[in-house]
Parts: sequence; C-alpha cells; structure tokens
Amino acid sequence: MIDVDTAHWVLEETLKRGAEHAIVRLQERIYETVVYDTGILRSYTVSRVIGLGVRAVIKGGTGYTYTTSMDRESILKAVDKAIALTKVASQYGKKSFTPTAPVKDRYRVEFKIDPHAVEPKLKVDLVKEVNTSSIKREGIVSAVTRLGLERDRRVIVTSEGTVVEVDVVGVGLAHMAVAKYGAVIERVGDRESYIGGYEHIEKRDWNAFAEEIDKLAIKASQSKTPPPGTYVAVVDNEVVGLLLHEAFGHASEGDGVVAGASILKNRIGEKVTSELITIVDAGLVEGGYPVPYDDEGVQKGKTIVVDKGVLKGYLTSRDTSQELNLKPTGNARAQDISFDTLVRQTNYYAEPGEWKVEELFEGVSHGIYLRGRGAMGGQVNPSVGTFTFSIGPSYIIRNGEPVELVRGVVVSGNILETLKEVDAVANDLKITTSVFGGCGKGGQTVRVGDGGPHIRTRKIVVGGG
Amino acid sequence: MIENIVERGIKVATKLGVGEVEVYAIRRIGTDIVGTTRGIERLSSGERIDVGVRVVIGKKVSVQGGMISRAEDLDSIVETAVKIARTLPEDPLWVSLPKGLGKSHVEETLDPKIVEPNTDYFIDVVQLLLKRSSEIDRRAFTSSASVHLSTVERAIGNSYGEIQREDSTEFSVFVSVKATEAGEESGYYEAYVAPTLTRFNPDEIVSKATEVAVKTLGARRVDTGDYELVFIPKVFAGVIQSLIVPAVCADSVQKGRSPLKDKIGRQVLSENLTIVDDGTYPGLMGTRSFDDEGVPTKRKVVFDRGVLNGFLYDTYTALVEGKSSTGNAFRNVPYSTPTPWISNLLVEPGSGDLSDLVKDVKKGVVVYATIGEWLSNPVSGLLNATITNGMYIESGEERFPVKGVVLSGNVYEVLKPVEVRVSGSLERFGRFSLPAIYIPRITLAGK
Repeated sequence: MIDVDTAHWVLEETLKRGAEHAIVRLQERIYETVVYDTGILRSYTVSRVIGLGVRAVIKGGTGYTYTTSMDRESILKAVDKAIALTKVASQYGKKSFTPTAPVKDRYRVEFKIDPHAVEPKLKVDLVKEVNTSSIKREGIVSAVTRLGLERDRRVIVTSEGTVVEVDVVGVGLAHMAVAKYGAVIERVGDRESYIGGYEHIEKRDWNAFAEEIDKLAIKASQSKTPPPGTYVAVVDNEVVGLLLHEAFGHASEGDGVVAGASILKNRIGEKVTSELITIVDAGLVEGGYPVPYDDEGVQKGKTIVVDKGVLKGYLTSRDTSQELNLKPTGNARAQDISFDTLVRQTNYYAEPGEWKVEELFEGVSHGIYLRGRGAMGGQVNPSVGTFTFSIGPSYIIRNGEPVELVRGVVVSGNILETLKEVDAVANDLKITTSVFGGCGKGGQTVRVGDGGPHIRTRKIVVGGG
Repeated sequence: MIENIVERGIKVATKLGVGEVEVYAIRRIGTDIVGTTRGIERLSSGERIDVGVRVVIGKKVSVQGGMISRAEDLDSIVETAVKIARTLPEDPLWVSLPKGLGKSHVEETLDPKIVEPNTDYFIDVVQLLLKRSSEIDRRAFTSSASVHLSTVERAIGNSYGEIQREDSTEFSVFVSVKATEAGEESGYYEAYVAPTLTRFNPDEIVSKATEVAVKTLGARRVDTGDYELVFIPKVFAGVIQSLIVPAVCADSVQKGRSPLKDKIGRQVLSENLTIVDDGTYPGLMGTRSFDDEGVPTKRKVVFDRGVLNGFLYDTYTALVEGKSSTGNAFRNVPYSTPTPWISNLLVEPGSGDLSDLVKDVKKGVVVYATIGEWLSNPVSGLLNATITNGMYIESGEERFPVKGVVLSGNVYEVLKPVEVRVSGSLERFGRFSLPAIYIPRITLAGK
C-alpha cells in the first residue's frame, strides 16, 4: 500500500479535482519496544502508523487532509475534503511556494539484521538481563530498561514531478536507574541509539552501559545541588547539542521568523554569537538522524545558519522560503501523516574548533562542567528569548579541575547573550540521535540529531537546590 | 461502528485460545485552523482509527496495536499479540484484567458545535485573535492563533464485561501575542482547552495574552536570593503536573520512584491545600465516564488539608495491593500499556483573588509563565523552572518585569509552610481547575 503507484494515483485524483499544486505523502512506521521495570516485563509492544496525507493548493489557499483508512473510497473522500478545505482557505490567506526542480530518488538505510525479524525472546532476554543486573547493584532501588526498534518508510510525490522514497531503520537502548542514599532518591537516565539494524544492538555491551548509569545515579544521590547563580561553564558535547537546539535552533526556524515570533528576525548579517561559533543543520551526518529529503520532497543538504558568529540564514520550508526570499532548505517535516509539515531542525550542531578539551578547563578558578549524561531535555520561548534545560549530574570546577559532583542542575540563558559569551571551542565533534524521543513542536515530535564539540562559556545561569 | 472493531478483536483472540483479552479502539476526527501574521495559513482535517489489543495467556501479557487501515489489520494485530505473548516471561504480579466495566454519569463532554462544525465561525475566531491584540495595544501583535476541534469515539471491551462506548469532543484555542517597544521584545500565550465551547470567550483570552505580553516588556533578572512567589493558576498547574502527579501514581510508589512512599496519613503539603482527582467533574478535558480500561471514573481526595490520603490506581497496580482501581488508568495511545494518571485535578479554593495574594507580598515575584517546569524531577521532588514572564513586587506593588530567572527548591518544602495560601477564584485549564497560590519562600537564581 505504501508505494509510489498509490501515491501517483492519489496525486492524479487531487489534480483532476482542480488542485493547482499538490503533495501526497504515504507512510508506514513500525515501532517496537520492550520495557522492563524493576525486574518485571512491563510491556512488549509493536505498533504501526500507516496512512496518507494530501496537501492541495488552489489560488493561494492550502488545505491538508489525512486518512488511516487505505481503501479506495476513504482515500477519495480524503481527497475531496482536501479540495473543499483548500477552496475555503483560498478566500482568506494567500500563500505561495517556492518552485523546486523535480527530484527522483530512493534513500535506504542499509542494515544487516532486520530488527523486527529478530526472535522476540532474544530481545526480551537482553532487556531482562540488563535490568535485573542493574537492580541487584547496591544502592539501586528501581530501574527501567527499554529497547527501541524502529522502521519508518515514507513516500513523497509532488505535482512538480518529485518522487522520493525514504526508508530509515534505527535501534537503541535506554536505561534509567533510581538510587537511594539516606532520605535522598535520585534518578539518572541515558540512552544510546544507532541508525541501522539489530547488529548494533548485538555489538554493544549493554550491561557495561547500564552499570555506568547506575554508578552515576548512586554517586549523584550522595551529592549536593549546586549553589544557584551565574557560572563560567565548560559544556560537553551533549549539552552543547541541547544548548544549540534550544538556544538557537528554534529561533532560526523560518515559520517563527515569518510570524515575527523569533528574536532572530531581521538579523541576517548581524553578529549573533561569538566568532568561534559556526552552526549548521545537515540532513546526513555521522551519528545523526538521516533526513535526506524533507516531507515536501525537498533535498536537505547542509545549511549554514551561523558562520563565524554571523547569522547567515534560517531553516525554511517552501512557503517560508518564499516569504523570506531564501532558498528552501529542506526543513519542512511532519511527525507522521496525521500532520501537515512545520519547519523543524534536522541535525543541528556546531563545527569543531581548535582547542583540546582539557585546555578548556585551564584557568577556570571557579566554574561548572555541564554534563549531558542524565539530561532530561530543554525548552525555549523564542519570542521572549529565554531558554532552559535540565542536565545530568555535573562537576563544580575549582582551580582548573572538575572536582565535586552536583545533582539537579538546571541552566538558563538568553538566546542572544549565551553564545556571545563562548570563548573557546574544542576539536572533538560528536553528534548523536535517539529512537526514544526527539524534538516537540506544535504537538508533533520528530527525530533529530544534535551535538557539537566541547565549548566554554563565560556566563550561564545555574539553578538547583 | 467502533464497537464492531472491539467485538471482532475479542472474538478473534478468544478463538486463538487466550486466557483474557481486551480491545480498545479510538476514532478521532479532527479539524485544525492555523493563522499567523500572514492571515489564515492553513486548514486541515483528517480521521484516524487507533486500536490496542491486550492479550493474557497464563500470566504472560502482551499489548499491541496501531493505526488500522482496514478490518484485516485488526486480525493481524491480534495474531501478533498472541504470538508475542506466548514467547514472553510471566509477570508474577499479574492478577487479571478489570472486571465489571461500566460508566459514571458525566456532563459537558460533547458539544454539537464541534461534531458538526461551522468552519466559517471558527475561521472568524482565528481572525479575531489575529487582529484584536494590536487593537488593544499598538505595541502588540498576534504571531499565531489556532483552533483545533476533534470528535472522539472510544470503545473498549474485555473478556469479562460489556463493551463500553463514549463519544466526546475536544476544543482547543491558542493565541500567541508578541509585544515590541524600543528594541525590547516580549511574548505571551493564552489558551482555552475544554471539551465544549461553554465558557469560551475569544476576546477574553486575547486580551489576557496582550496584557501580559505588554506589561512584561523590558523584563530583566533579579539578584540571586530568596523571594516570595505568587503563581497564577496555569503556572501552579504546571508545577503540580510535573512533580506531585507522578508522585501520587501508584506505579511510581510501588517501584520506589515516589518521595511520597510511606507518607499516607502524613502532613505533606500546607494545610491550605486540598487536592482532589475527579473524572466526573463537568467540562474538563479529563471528564469521561470510564477510564482507559473501561473502569468507571470517580472522585477521590488525594490531599486533605495537606495530609496525603491515597494514591491513584489502575487495575494492575491496584490488584498488586489487593485494592480496586480508582478509575485512573491512562493510555497515551490505545496500544500503550495502561499506567495510573490523573483524570481531572481540582485544588479547592481559598479566599480572595490574585490581587489579594499579590498585595501582601513584601519582596517577591508574581509568575505568569515558566518554561522547563516539566523537566523537574518527581523522583527527588526537586522543582526547577525558568520564569519567562513575571513581575517583581515590592510592598504589594508591581515594580518591573522579570525573565530569565531559575526558581528551584524541593516541592515538598516549598508547598508545606502554613503561610502558603490559595485564592478563592478558580481557573479551568485542560484537566485542571485551580486557584492562584502564594508561596512564602523560594530560591531564585538570577544575576
């Protein structure tokens, strides 16, 4: 059902009914999870998203419909509805889409072992082993271990002749441990994902992975929260990823810029970060989540957002690019067919600099080493310019050395201030993705990749305790 | 008919020889209207059917499902569920699926204006939200406004009871207002989220959003230190949802992830806080006659004048303790394993309104919005949130706007003092009905 022929038929039916321009998206996504909670199998679920979505444009009006019922009658009903909505929309707003040259391509993630074909018992045994070993460790009172396996196939055809098929397979394991020390209970969770097949699961020593998390949870439960205030901070790869994504990424999304909601509006050509910082959004990058084409069928290459401190552009979809007089950057993405696209980041990261990681600590008499392991995520309000994120157990730096572990660390800052304060960028680029979560916006979650090198910033607000 | 899906699933599973089976189907028909500074941007609509199947063989439990695109998909979901269940280890704590499915009486859960929507009316609403803010104050404009309507049909049945069905509606409206003046920028959003249009007043929400966006222009940080705080109801709801709700759900308690374990009968919060969970309360988003396992919803006091009275249970966690479900089974999608969660959460009113709480503040901040409160840690009870819109108060008077400040503290210390007070006026917001709250001391990290 999820094939190019069906997509073409739906496209034809949409154009026959008067659409001047149309995009048809088909999708099938299978997600399999095995969850052990403190020694007991909590769930083993295989779920499937399947269906199609149609966007039609008539006289500047845009309508979108979707259906999960794939019989002929339901599909035609959806097409009729898209046309009807489009006609209503055309009475109100006028929108135009940057034309793009047609592309025909197929992108497939190669894998050796299909994760969904592996015997369920093997998967259950793996998660059980990791989870039960964890709860036997002294100091651990509770642990949740989760295996995630995903395949996402998308077909996109457009009235301009684009035909794109994207097939991504990903696997990963997440572990969260709760440790108790006296009256203090603390949790630390981490996850590791790979794009590819089950061979990645087989290769990794997951007991060692969980043990590190358990030990960190135990140490964290015995540590204090940091004194609140403003700190000099050395920031690790993972936290840099969060920082760039929240502090800058969302504000550079073209839909917010067009709506006047982003603090980066009208700042192209301005210095917005330290000159040590170059920020890019790339569809295909080692360690990231592959987005070769977006859900409008536009190729996602590498977009330079900030070049040596100067704002160069925004992330765009076909309509926001028209409005901003920029090229479409291939950032129109949808969680699944039940949503039309929004402008989203793909793999958003900073290019490496020249410092060695250990050099970043030199000369810091009092500061904090912000660590990503155990980070819960972040949030930004791009119109106010304030961002925040919760990070993992971190270290207070004294006299150039990370010496004391602290827990419950939250940082906050201003989009236009924080990255200006960066005074050193290391040479250790690292990008990661996750099959367990992603970025949320407008009720939709999409998979993203983020990261960067270690950096040092002279000023960041730290709360805690 | 959605009940037919449930019936068919139960039949297929029973034929395959399972011990117990449950089938849950949800059909959702939605319409969205989105507007921005460019006017009406987009109309969209669609329909999806999601189905979840839970089968039990001995004590082996498997939950499977997803969107279904034709009837045969259901059969293959059931077959997969059975196949996987046979390979799984037993859950030693498993007792049974719920027995005695049924319904409670509920009101204000369905609005005909949403079932058969007049699209022109809702487009007019979005247009009003788009233009009204700049009419109220020339420094303000609406950056986005949206309306979402859904009709939801739910049906659930299991090996033990009659199939339950309920139809309801959902209506949510969001407006984001941005304000700019002399290089300063600010923004605020307001929302109406409820099953019906009963209390919907678009003018009121856009006015509120405009007022806060404009008055928090030029916000700055306060010095790091201890302050009094007043949370408006929406902010208070965020704190409760992030920290208190997970801690009163029985699964967290049983797995050692709740700081409220062993605290029943103890004074945990201020005596001025009485918190009730009630799925039968009219007109909130969690109002429904049965939970996500088909168990009737009901009212229960969770904190009685600050004393912890009990936890929220689904069938699994209840039977582990030899208790009955409190009607609090929740599923994000019908094919997820149920866990306990709130239905609607009600905080009992105190006296006066927001301004009465503010006028007694000597040195503090009234908080209109935070970000990141959902990243707080319910396992340790550590509250962390960053203020995006606040006003610094001295001697009961608003002095200047505040943003970019992190508030932190253990929620059970922050909400425990006898000086904690709540307003008499309540606001409804999604699954919450609650007052504003005054907190005598909290640490802010700022300058």
